[in-house]
This record gives sequence, structure tokens and C-alpha cells, in this order.
Amino acid sequence: MNTRRVGALALTLVLAAIPASAQDARVEAARREGKVVWYTSLALSSSERVAKLFEAAYPGIGVEVHRTGSQRILQRVMQELQANLRLVDVIHTSDAGHFVLLKAKKLLMKYTPAGVDAFPPGFKDRDGYSYGLRATVNVIAYNSKVVPAAEAPRTWKDLLDPKWKGKLVTAHPGYSGVIATHVLALVHLYGWDYFQQLAQNRLMLVQSAVDPAGVVASGERPVAVNGGDYTFYQTRKKGNPVEIVYPKEGVPLVVSPTAIAAGAPHPSAAKLFTDFTFSREVQQVLADTEGLYTGHPDVTYPADKPKLGELRLLHTDPDELEKRNEEIRKRFVEFFGA
Amino acid sequence: MDRSLPVWVLAALALVLLMALPLGWLGYMSVSSETGATLSHYREVFTDPHLQKALWNTVVLAFWVGLASLAIGSPIAWLTARTDLPGKRLIRGLILASFVTPPFLGAFAWVMLAGPNAGLLNKLYRAWTGAAEPLVNIFSMPGLIFVVSIYTFPYVFIMLANTLELIASDLEDAASILGASRVRVALTVTLPMVLPAILSGFILAVLQALALFGSPAILALPAGFHTITTQIWALFQYPPKVEMAAAFSVPLFLATALLLLIQKQLLGRRGYATIGGKGGARRRIPLGPWRLPALAGCLGVMACSIFLPYGILAKAAVARAWAQPLAAENLTLANFALTFGHGATRSAIVNTLELGIMTACVGAGLAALLAYVVNRKLIPGHQLLAFLALAPVVIPGVVLAVALFVAYTRPPLVLYGSLWILFVAYLTKEMPVGYSQSDATFKGVHPELEEAGRILGAGRLRVLGEITAPLARSGIIATWCFVFIGVIRELSASIILFTPNTKVISVVIFDLKEEGQFGAIAVLGLFMLGMTLAAVVVMQTLLGRDVIGTKD
Amino acid sequence: MPGVTIKGLTKRYGDLAALEGLDLRVEPGELVSLLGPSGCGKTTTLRLVAGFLRPEAGEIWVGDRCLSSPTSVVPPERRRMAMIFQSYALWPHMTVAQNVAYGLRLKPGVPKAAREARVKEMLKVVQLEGFESRYPGELSGGQQQRVAVARALVVEPEILLLDEPLSNLDANLREEMRFEIRRLHETFAITTLYVTHDQAEAMVISDRVAVLFRGRVVQVGTAEDLFQRPQTRFVAEFIGKTNLVDVIAAEPGVVTRGALRLRVPLTGLMPGASVVLSIRPHEIGLVTRGQCASPEHNVLTGVVQRASYLGDAVDYQIRLSGSDVALRVTAAPPALVRPGEAVTLAVAPEACVPLAEGRFAC
Repeated sequence: MNTRRVGALALTLVLAAIPASAQDARVEAARREGKVVWYTSLALSSSERVAKLFEAAYPGIGVEVHRTGSQRILQRVMQELQANLRLVDVIHTSDAGHFVLLKAKKLLMKYTPAGVDAFPPGFKDRDGYSYGLRATVNVIAYNSKVVPAAEAPRTWKDLLDPKWKGKLVTAHPGYSGVIATHVLALVHLYGWDYFQQLAQNRLMLVQSAVDPAGVVASGERPVAVNGGDYTFYQTRKKGNPVEIVYPKEGVPLVVSPTAIAAGAPHPSAAKLFTDFTFSREVQQVLADTEGLYTGHPDVTYPADKPKLGELRLLHTDPDELEKRNEEIRKRFVEFFGA
Repeated sequence: MDRSLPVWVLAALALVLLMALPLGWLGYMSVSSETGATLSHYREVFTDPHLQKALWNTVVLAFWVGLASLAIGSPIAWLTARTDLPGKRLIRGLILASFVTPPFLGAFAWVMLAGPNAGLLNKLYRAWTGAAEPLVNIFSMPGLIFVVSIYTFPYVFIMLANTLELIASDLEDAASILGASRVRVALTVTLPMVLPAILSGFILAVLQALALFGSPAILALPAGFHTITTQIWALFQYPPKVEMAAAFSVPLFLATALLLLIQKQLLGRRGYATIGGKGGARRRIPLGPWRLPALAGCLGVMACSIFLPYGILAKAAVARAWAQPLAAENLTLANFALTFGHGATRSAIVNTLELGIMTACVGAGLAALLAYVVNRKLIPGHQLLAFLALAPVVIPGVVLAVALFVAYTRPPLVLYGSLWILFVAYLTKEMPVGYSQSDATFKGVHPELEEAGRILGAGRLRVLGEITAPLARSGIIATWCFVFIGVIRELSASIILFTPNTKVISVVIFDLKEEGQFGAIAVLGLFMLGMTLAAVVVMQTLLGRDVIGTKD
Repeated sequence: MPGVTIKGLTKRYGDLAALEGLDLRVEPGELVSLLGPSGCGKTTTLRLVAGFLRPEAGEIWVGDRCLSSPTSVVPPERRRMAMIFQSYALWPHMTVAQNVAYGLRLKPGVPKAAREARVKEMLKVVQLEGFESRYPGELSGGQQQRVAVARALVVEPEILLLDEPLSNLDANLREEMRFEIRRLHETFAITTLYVTHDQAEAMVISDRVAVLFRGRVVQVGTAEDLFQRPQTRFVAEFIGKTNLVDVIAAEPGVVTRGALRLRVPLTGLMPGASVVLSIRPHEIGLVTRGQCASPEHNVLTGVVQRASYLGDAVDYQIRLSGSDVALRVTAAPPALVRPGEAVTLAVAPEACVPLAEGRFAC
């Protein structure tokens, strides 16, 4: 099976990259721990794929995947720590602000995965606690069967047109970090008035940034006003009539960090896993089959996707994201109702 | 000194602890803050416009669900209890099936049926009529009311059908002889006699609607409005405002308590509507030419709550893309593989079964002990025990969860993070149902049967084992089944108390909904329904009659 | 075979007193009925004797053992009694043989073979031979009752308690079973307490009858004692029909009411004292034309108000002349007089039984 071959390849190359004895010791320790617990906001199928690759490369170490939205992950982590439960090893969400918060509360372990020096600055935490595992951009998407290409919206502002009333779907910043980033970026671009006007078009609310792809593909709502581009890309690849629009005003870049929890119950396995996910092979898998962008300089991207360099990126500051998180969610609810 | 006394006292203490502790914490939390006792949380609850809106939405929902349940349940009850409607067993079986279907699963299925653009029914409608607008939009308050009502009307049905059974035909014959038509008889003679039962049913339906979490979460949130339950859940998002959640829970709890009090007054102490007369023979009212239309009407209702939703779930379970037609290339078993291969799902299934079995065993045992103690008046204050056993029905699941969260996330008893907190929540929540069934069981075992054993030389515990237990056995097993079914479909408490390790099936379904994984949801949903229906069949066989109580 | 002694038994439910100082003695081998209307405390007494209830005051002795007192109650399983319940209380999940054998299984020293033999024998006694493997649900009411009897007798109890065992049977069967129970009692001679509200039943079955009213024994005696010599108004009215006449003592042996004057076997009463007389309807004779009443009898005249033909008797209501008293008279058919006719009555002084007055307000 394809994954097995990739896995075996990954193993060999990873093994080659790190001095043999230190690596062996770490693998041994990880095997003794037996598993790594991963709270991830990466789409379920993608997370499962990464997990299976790791398990194939390191038999005997299981990966417990717990996938839910970024905001939920933060809630889980905070709730568990409040009750003194040390359950999670690796925390991965799409809300960079979370990691500012977690770092401030001293809930993260300082750990630098192998090979990240070459990553662009946006993918590295200056204090060495968290690193960008993947990236995506927020885009507009539409159902090509329902909406002819000529009439499709091309810019964020196009979405405000009343002709889209009842035809739009949005995901929720209260659930998804990708969307929280999107909202903040657009607030910088056009202010809160943008969302106030957008709400006049009576949008359908879904939670996860993964969800709009399904909604658009089924035709339930023909146009999605946000969502991670990688989900639309995957949906299109499966044969659904979904087209992606990268608005000229700019696309909010969402870098999704990952970090190890401070009191992680399986620290060696956690470190091993983190290294694995930043290896070129796995990063390439993320780019090829998942349609994600990564920070790895040696990764090549499919031809049918624009390169990051070709797009006008809207960056958001993690500190601001953290500080304004409550405001983002509150005002969104204010405009959209729930 | 009666050697069996410690057993009874222990059971009683367990119950008191189960009930009193969380409620106490709830009250405490709702008025606590860093600066001491305060009413600020309550003030905020009643002045914040969002929360006010949620309150209003809940009232509207509950009221209309009550009415709709009455509108649906009453005619069907009258038709099955008093007329010569054909296919009665089928109808009753279908009503039972909709009684045990978790409403959130129904809501989910109706999203696939009546989502304004992709919903199957709307698609068909647009294909037939060429209209641009959909026929129905399920993501709306009327949509929510509809979906909740089709799974709540069985409460009205059961109340009413049981009562109608008790009315002798001669009361109605007297009116017919004087020239009243069938309908007139129904309205002027039958109706007033069953009014207490009708009002009771209305109240029960309202209570259900107040406490539901899943259906509003699925249908209301995308439409942009909250109910009290979804709002309480939202208050648990980070950063959690537990004090606010507690303060918001208390009015819900009080409203429920008030409604139940009214309902009790209506029914008197015996718990069912008493009718004058000796309940003699009942004759079937002939429907004449209305027979088949009436049957069609009943089946139409059942189509809404059973045929259509189960059908679309089955379709989604085997389809690659649920909205596309069921052509050969759309069929796949991948959903099954994905669902059961996914580690979190497998462990959720295991958790659900573990919790279901454990809660049912402990719950049935405790309920049986308590019912025995109360029925045989074994300790002083036994009336209080009966009250406490039934009291949890007053607490909506979400409120209970908040209370338990507060009670059990601090030392000395930190249950949060383990299956135990879910166990406690389920045990508390299902105790009323379990106790009612056990109570009915022991009422059916005449005390003289036990006294006959004792006077012949058997001690109390031997009598319990050789005489009472065999006679109560099928009733206790039915109790077990009731509790089991209640546990496996529970959502509103689980959604607050779970941790990633302690997910149960309903929570996984809810998670998958947030990601739009329709295929996996359908598979899990059908699996849950399968387990539930299996338990129902067991119960039906044991009790030898319809679980919903009406005999032919 | 021990006897039962009940002393000052008191039982209260909250403020309600079911029994107030009840005293009764049942001799060894005697069958005593507790007779009374509902609410008089007869079932409560039985359940106290059985040990299902604890008394607030008083004691229950069986032989030389004190089984019940306010401070200690020997539990039912150790009292060596047996009970037949109104509902029979047969266990539906056990066969007839298992029901009957239940008490024997709990008795030490009865091996299985002996047990089965005794069960078989007892079923023969109650005429249910061959019914061993049937279930109670398959039996008629009468058959179930006999199984209950067999179950109670097979353990050879010291005391036998019966709680209205015949009230669920239809009238014919009830009559038949009365004699059956009496016959069984004469065969086995167990000290027995029998509760019933049916006075005919009590009179057929019992050696003695204790009449209960509002938690007390108002009179104990043989059937004849109670019928011929009732001591209170209540007993007189409860046992058979009677005429009750309020009169005032005039001279020794004579009482009056208005113009009515009766000779009664009562001396030692203060003149002017009020007395109630009980006169049984069948002890009032109709004097027909040509007959002469005995000189000792009271002769009264009156007018017939009603004459009802009952088949084996005629029931008259006769208004006495010059008085407000109407007497019920029972005589053999045919009806000798019709309503509106004048009639002469003769009553022996011994038939006018004075009742104890003022002791009980019943």
C-alpha cells in the first residue's frame, strides 16, 4: 500500500538524519511509553493519515488522535489542566493566539523539532515553544454546477451583494482557529462593518472550517465565504464540483502551530512524533495529498494550486489574535446570532 | 433487630448523596464569585439581551412543541384506543420506535431531508414544480418545533391511550343514543373526561422540549439562534463561565419543577387520570369510510418520524456522497470502515456499552432495592425515599451536568476525566425511570405472598430471594432495559462532562456533525438505533405486552 | 397444643386507634372466630398474633411463651404458626406440590421422601389428589383455597390463623366450605383464630365467637350465648335480626313504654331506670283465632303494616295498638294475616332480653 512504502521511506530517511545512538535511545524510550496522545484540529482524514504513517514507521507506538475544532481543543486543554488531568502530549491547533496563551501560562514544553531552522520566520515561535506544522489560506469557494463561473464572486466585497442572500455559508470563529484568523484579517481590511453587512445575507452557520466544503459540494449552500483552502482542494479532488477563488484583496494566511504539553505523560513519544511530522517526507505528504502549505523549503506543491509566493497574503499577529479572541467571537455572535 | 435493615439504610444514603450533592453545588456556584456571595450572575442572566433571547426562544419552542405533540398524539391515541382502526399493532410498534429514537438523530436525518438546498424533499419538490425556493427550511424555529414534536408526541399518546382504555363505552353510548354523531361524542363526552390526561401529556411534552440539547444544537445554531440548553453549553467554551452557567441553569430547573408540580396536581396521587364509572366493556367505534384515510394519516405521521429519517440514514450510511442519488458508483462500505476503524469511535462504542451495562445493573439494582423498601415500608421516612428517587426528573440533563461538573472537579472527589462522572450523571438521570418501573413491579407482587412465606418459617431475606425475586424478575429486567436505553442515547449531560478519552457514541456523533461527516454519523446512528431496538425487543418479550402499556 | 392469651392489646396508626385494650383467651384446640364489621380491628388482631405488627401496649402469649409485646416481637418465621390469607397467597411460580411443601422444607428433620409423602397425604385430605404438578393459575378459586389450607396444615402448626378465607368464593361454595373447614378442625384440633365479617359463617364454624367493635371485644361466647343473650345493642343487632325497644322499669319484673306494658325476667332494677329490650322476631308468636296464649306470655294487639312472603318464612311488621312501637315478626308460612288487619301477638317474658346499657355507646 502506498502509505506503507512512504512510511518505510520516511523511517529510513529520518533514521539517517539523526545520530544513530541518540535516536535509538529515544525510540526505545518512546516504545516503553507506548503511545502519544495528539489533540489536533487538522481534518480528521488528514490527521488519521499522519497517524498511520507514524505507526507504520515506529511499530509499537500508537497515536491516539483526538480531532476537534481549535477552540474546542483549547477548552479541553484548559478544562483538563484545571482539574489537574495530564492527558495530552501534543497540541496542534490553527489558532496561533492559543499558543501565546498557553506559553504565557507555562503549559508548554520547550522543544525544537529537527530540521526547522530552514523554515520561514512565520513558522517559528521566537522562544522555541511552538512551530508551524502546516499552513492554509482562507478562500472563497463555490459549487460550479449551481453557480456559473461568470457569476461567481471574485473578491471578499463581492460577497456583500444582496443577490447572495440565503446562498452563503460560513464557519465559526468560536470553533475554528482558521476562521478566527480569517475574521481578524478581514476586520483589519474592512473593519467590523464588513461582517455587519455580510450578516444581512442570512448566512448558514457551521462550526468547523472543514464543514463549508461539504456544504458547498452538496449544493446546500452554493458559496462558502471562508474555509481552509486545503479542504476545498481535497473535496474537488474527490470529484465534487467545487471551485476555489483566491480573492485579489488578499487571503488570510493561517499557520497552524504545534507544541508539546508541559506535563506530557509520554514525553519521548511526543518528541519523536513531533520530529516525524516535521520531516520532509511527512511535510510532502501534507502538501501532496492534503493540499496544505508547509514551512519546509524542500517541499514541492501540486501544479493545480497557486504557490504561497504568488498570493497576496494577509498576515495576522498571534499576540493580537490571542488578545482579541473574545472580541472576535462575541461580535461574530452579535452579527450572526449564534 | 431485623438483620436486613443495614441494606435498606445504605441504599437510602446512596440516593441522598447522589441527589443532594450536585444540587447543592449548583446553588452555591450560581451565587459565588471571587468577592463572596452575589446575585450579579442572576442579574446578568436576566438582563443580557443574548441570554434573554435564548430564554424567549426556549419558551416559544416548548410551548409550540407541547401544542404540536397534542395535535399529533391525541387523534392517534383516540383512533387506536376507541375505534376500529386497522393496523393498530403496527402503529403502536412504530410509535414505540419513535419514542426510543434519540431526537438529535432525528434532527440530523431531517437536515438531510429538508435542508433548504440539498435536502432530499426539497430537491424532489424543485424537480417536480420547477420552483426556486425550497418547500421547507428545516433550519428554522418551525423546523425545530416540527422535529422535536415528532419525537415527543409519544408522551401524549401514552398518557392519553392509557386513560382512554379506562373509559367504558356506555358513557359514550348514552350520548350516541341521544343522537350525537361520532365526532360530537368524542368532543363532548370523551374529551372532558380525558382532559387531565391531555394536560399532563402537554406538560410532559413541554418538559422534554425544555431539556433537549441535540436538536437545537443541530437546527437552531446554523439558523443563528440559541436555546437555554445550547446557551449553557456555549458558556462552557473557553474561557468557561461556570458561575453564569449555574445561574442560567437554576431558572430552567425551577421551571421544570413547577411544571411537574402542576402535572402531579392534575393527576392526583395515583399518577394516572382517574375516571368516573367502573370501566366496563369498551366497544370499538366504527369509522366506516374513514378507516383507510385515518390509517393513512397515522402512517403519514410515522413516515415523518420513522420511515423518512431511518431511510435517509440508511442511504447516507452506504453512499459516498449522501446528497447524490443512489447509483451504483455512489455505493460504498467505506463509511463503515471509516467509522469502526477510527480509534476514537471504537473506544466510544466500548465506553457506551460499558457505561450502559454498568449503569443499568447498578441502576436497576438500586431502583429495585429502593422500590422494595418503599413498597414494604421497611424504614421510617420511606416516602422521602420515593420522592428523592423520582426527583432527578426535575433536572434537565444540561443542568445536571453543570452541577456534577462543579461538584466533581474539585478535591476530594475528582471524578472528572474518568468514566465515573458520566456514570454518576447517567445513574442520577435515569433513576426516576428505573424507580417507576420497579415501583410498578413491586406493586404487582402482593405483600401477602411474602407474608405467607414468612409465617411458614422463611426469614425476610429468604423470602426476598425465593418468592419476591422470581416474581419480580421480568419487571426488574424491564427496568434494566429502560435504564440501558436511556444511557446509550444520552447527549445533553455527556456533551459537557466528556473528555477525549471518555467519549460516548452520542458525543462522537455530535463531533462528526461539526465536521459534516454525514456518512459516519449515519453508520453510528444506525448502530445506536440497532442497540436500542434490540433492548426494546427484549423488554417487550419479557413483559409480554406493549411497553407503552396499552393492551388490545 | 398451646392456647393463645391476648392481654390489653393496643395498636395505633398515628392518631387512629385500631385496637384499644383487647383481651381474649383461646383454649388449646379451640376455634374462636373474630367477628365484626370492617374497621373493628379483627384483621389487625390476627396480624398482631401472626407477628407482622408490633403492639403499642399489651402482650400476646402462646402457651408459656410471650411472643409479642411493645418491646419485642418474635418474627413470624419463628412463631410456629400457619396462616391462610384472604387472597390465598399461592405462589404462582411454584407448583401445587412446591407450594404445599414450602413450609416443610424449612422444618429441620424432614427428609425429602417424608416430605413428599406428607404433601401427597395432605392433598388427599383436601380432596386435591393428583394436582401436584399443576400451577395455581390453572386452578379454580375453590381449588386454590384448598391448596392454601393444605399448605397451612401440612406443617402441623401450633396455631392456625385464617383471614376471611371464604370471602372470595361464591355463595354456594362458601356454604359448602364452611362445613369443610369445621370438619378439618374437628379432625386436626389445632388452636385456631378465624376472622370473618359473616355472622352465619362464624356461628357454623366456631367453638366460640368473639364479637369485636371499634378495637375491643364486646362479647365472647358460643353462638347460642350470643344469639339468645346478647349483652349490648350492637351484638343484638349484629347477630341475627332483632327488635330493640326502649322501656322504663316500673315494678320488679315489669317494664313500660307509654301504654305498652311487658313482663320481663328482670328484678333488681331501680324504678324509672331505662332499659333496652331485645326481642327476636321468631320468638313473637301470632295468636290465631281459636288459639289461646299461654297465661305467662305477654299478650299484645296491633295492626299488620307489611307481610312479605320469603318462601321459608313470612316477615311481618306489626304496629302495636296505643304505642309507637312496631315489631318485626317472623313466622312460618302461609301468611295468616294481611296488611291492615288486626292481629294478636304473644311474647314469652324470657324472650325479652334486657341489654347492658351505658357501657358502650354502640
